[in-house]
Amino acid sequence: MHIMEGFLPWQWCLVWWIIAIPFLVMGIIQLRTMIQKDRDYLPLLGVCGAFIFILSALKLPSVTGSCSHPTGTGLSTMCFGVFITSIIGAIVLLFQSLLLAHGGLSTLGANMCSMAIGGPLAGYAVYRLLKDTNVNIFVTVFLVTAVADLVTYVITSFELAVAYPAQVGGIAASFEAFFAIFAVTQIPLAIVEGIVLALVFKYIVALKPDILLKLNVFSEDQISRAQQQDNTVAHVEG
Amino acid sequence: MIGNYKLEILTVIAILGFIAVFLSVSSGGEHEFSGSDDVGSQKISELTGQPVESYKPLIPQYEPPSGEIECTLFALQCSFGALILGLIFGYWFGQKKSSPVS
Repeated sequence: MHIMEGFLPWQWCLVWWIIAIPFLVMGIIQLRTMIQKDRDYLPLLGVCGAFIFILSALKLPSVTGSCSHPTGTGLSTMCFGVFITSIIGAIVLLFQSLLLAHGGLSTLGANMCSMAIGGPLAGYAVYRLLKDTNVNIFVTVFLVTAVADLVTYVITSFELAVAYPAQVGGIAASFEAFFAIFAVTQIPLAIVEGIVLALVFKYIVALKPDILLKLNVFSEDQISRAQQQDNTVAHVEG
Repeated sequence: MIGNYKLEILTVIAILGFIAVFLSVSSGGEHEFSGSDDVGSQKISELTGQPVESYKPLIPQYEPPSGEIECTLFALQCSFGALILGLIFGYWFGQKKSSPVS
């Protein structure tokens, strides 16, 4: 989903940077207050960040015959919200643009808008929609992660479409073309990512339900119901 | 027993399904499996009618000299994540074990 360095006119680079910066500032403020308040959250933050690191390094083949990578931002979005997720995403993207030439400093703003901000925002919307319903929490995790992953690529398609409208058909036609490249490739990856992160969440629920309660990710009732559903807790302890 | 491991089984099935799809796609027809980033860049040059090489970086950047080095750096990124993950989950498992009443 990286837009390569040089492939975005500087005007658009500027636009996406300007949109991204408030999120980063808010993220740093939230991160600071959180760390000062309670250091118990740090391990969970580490787990969420680790998944973004791992998943965004994996380039997986897909049905369209090209490769793409998952984003892994859904877990962090649910636990810590969009702003803190944008910081972790920005760190990964910075690493990739400085050392790997995947994306560049000028297109970093656009790449942050898709992977570190837009995807998480969409995931957060799904999370808020399902949080207080009867939907199984693992289904929620699956949907949040898959949506965050997929929307990342939809936004990349959009960013390229507005910068490069097709001569015939304009922005819509070129959005369709980029959508076919990025988003369609991403559908199977998003589904697998959703299932894997749901499994990870099951282990977090089994091992550290108290952190999830403290962060108010899900209610006590929902978490204890999930624990009763599968008794992995007992296995973990035994 | 199976009831406890529903999600684990589902994950394995999903990953196996993913591999099956990959195998069937890669065996039928010609696919390069290049990165979608590159495919996207080609599409840009198609839309604008300018060759891919004409897009010069706006800000100079380091480029890994070969695919091998790029591989190393990606593996490094991945292993860093996995290290943190193993460390924290190990810590949590240990915590849970040493204090069963919690």
